[in-house]
Amino acid sequence: MLEIRNLHVAIGDTPILAGIDLEVKAGEVHAIMGPNGSGKSTLAQVLAGREGYTVTAGSVRYLGQDLLALEPEARARAGVFLAFQYPLEIPGVANVQLLRTALNSVRRARGEPELDAMDFLDAVKAKLALLGMDEGFLYRAVNEGFSGGEKKRNEILQMAVLEPRLAILDETDSGLDIDALKTVAHGVNALKHPQRAVILVTHYQRLLNYIVPDRVHVLAAGRIVRSGDASLALELEDKGYAWLTHDAESQPTPAESRP
Amino acid sequence: MNLETATRYRQALDYISSAVGHVDARQRALERFLASGLPTPRLEDWKYTALDALERSPWHAPEHARDALPDSGDTPGTRVAFGNGRLVHTGGQPQREHSLAAHVDDARARQVFDSLAGDAALTQINRALWQDGLWLHVPAGQVAPPVFAVHYASEADAMLHTRNLVVLEAGAQAVLVEHYRGVPDRAYWQNPVTEIVLGEGAHLDHLTLTEEGAAASHTGLAVVRQARHSRYSALSVNIGGRLVRHETRVNLDGPHAECRLDGLFIADTRRHIDQHLHVEHAAPRTTSRQTWRGIAAGRGRGIFDARVVVHAGAQQADAQQSSRNLLLSPHAEIDVKPQLEIHADDVKCGHGATVGQLDEAQVFYLRSRGIDAVTARALLLRAFAEEALGWLKNSGLAGWLEPHLAAALRLQEGERTA
Repeated sequence: MLEIRNLHVAIGDTPILAGIDLEVKAGEVHAIMGPNGSGKSTLAQVLAGREGYTVTAGSVRYLGQDLLALEPEARARAGVFLAFQYPLEIPGVANVQLLRTALNSVRRARGEPELDAMDFLDAVKAKLALLGMDEGFLYRAVNEGFSGGEKKRNEILQMAVLEPRLAILDETDSGLDIDALKTVAHGVNALKHPQRAVILVTHYQRLLNYIVPDRVHVLAAGRIVRSGDASLALELEDKGYAWLTHDAESQPTPAESRP
Repeated sequence: MNLETATRYRQALDYISSAVGHVDARQRALERFLASGLPTPRLEDWKYTALDALERSPWHAPEHARDALPDSGDTPGTRVAFGNGRLVHTGGQPQREHSLAAHVDDARARQVFDSLAGDAALTQINRALWQDGLWLHVPAGQVAPPVFAVHYASEADAMLHTRNLVVLEAGAQAVLVEHYRGVPDRAYWQNPVTEIVLGEGAHLDHLTLTEEGAAASHTGLAVVRQARHSRYSALSVNIGGRLVRHETRVNLDGPHAECRLDGLFIADTRRHIDQHLHVEHAAPRTTSRQTWRGIAAGRGRGIFDARVVVHAGAQQADAQQSSRNLLLSPHAEIDVKPQLEIHADDVKCGHGATVGQLDEAQVFYLRSRGIDAVTARALLLRAFAEEALGWLKNSGLAGWLEPHLAAALRLQEGERTA
């Protein structure tokens, strides 16, 4: 489903990703872990199409297409979803308006008829129930005045409504209490399907107790320095990152290797 | 003014003089206009807007009345249509009841007609050449059904000096929508003058949608006089035309009179939109509110010039001005000039003005949900505009306005750079 080959990304003149190789197959859950500043969020943002990053080398293919050539909305319509680490507040735009506009954009792209207000509401209410969210959520401005946990749940609600093929969750677990964490995990697990894949970007192993990954990758200094199965996450929890990142850091960092 | 130009204005009066009354008074107004000429940027109030294009154009009085107007959408109320400056008889129902030309010599109209409009050059030429416009008179204590006045222009090089007169007697209530629109590619000039007199305790809700054709010029003046305890709620939505300059003057003449002058403009493409507000707190315990939102894109230019004057005797006046603006392209321009002039010592006055940009992180967030960039920006701009649309929500007019707004807010991507 997703093939990342030798991906190099910079912000301005500063290299952030220094050769990422990653293959994610349909039906799989991958966790990308690593210390702060390792490039995890950059990878997530680049996959979603955020401006401001320069791909200096490498390629990303998604369902046979060149993902990097697509506009952000085209990626979303093709089934890529990014749950933001810091979801944006959009005063004056109601949640229901964002959800309906987004879903109908995606449906149009898939050649499906748009949902009218009533059908849409029925569909979205089922998703709210799945996530234990109150209907009042729909009529609040997007993320405005939401608590940290509410924002993260709102991301999962958007994901549940859009039913992406590839969901990328960028530190969705950070700042969540245990109940919110379970709710988020429940939302993600409900989405699991042989035709879908999930990438969990996370600093901690905690979320992986509830969403069990097929593969775990450790990112350090812009490279994947170790890959393994779910047990790698437990090992990291036990030993921390230092034993893995030491090697990466003893090599010249991408920033230092600049001519 | 050169001879050729002056001749054209004289010919216009000759052309209409057989169909209109008070030709002597019109003649005098015309001569005053010719003596002063069009306002120039040398005048402080006109420093942002040059009328060179008006000066050069071969204007004539409209020759064609229009009987078939394009659909204005469902108008929840009485629809009165003017085509090229004259009343249009729609659906076999003459709307003479609301024709100022038909009523200007009525006793009540005579008392107030032309008493507020003043002597500015553009008012003089309107005084000389007006043919018709809205007459809305609501007797004391009555509640009138909403009136939609549509002013449609379709004739190239026609100048339309629309004249409107609105009189609400004591305790009367009315809702008025004025919709100015026209054929996109014809260069016409709409120069309306609207006088509004609100009696004691009268309430008027007044929505003006200026959606003139893309080649049109619009120079409008609205003058309002408010008696004690009257309330005037106005929303001015400026989303059309090539050159628009609109001035609203409100005199809060009696204690406890309140006005709300809100507005929204979208100066995209090469549009020039200049709006002037002038509020006089001439009596104690009067209140004024101005909430404006402006958007400039492409090579558009928007100007918000608002002055509030609190007279010496107007103690406990309360005046608030808010103007927030978005610049969407490096070639667009917005000039904001809020001014308070206070001659009383026990007042509550404040103003705030900002010019900012759209948050591209918000745009990306929406796009990452599958929403295209044009729609994403339109959603954000609609949210930005919302605060200026405050009183409209409960007026029954919001649904009518919405499609016009939605269309205007879908700015093409080129408008970010052009």
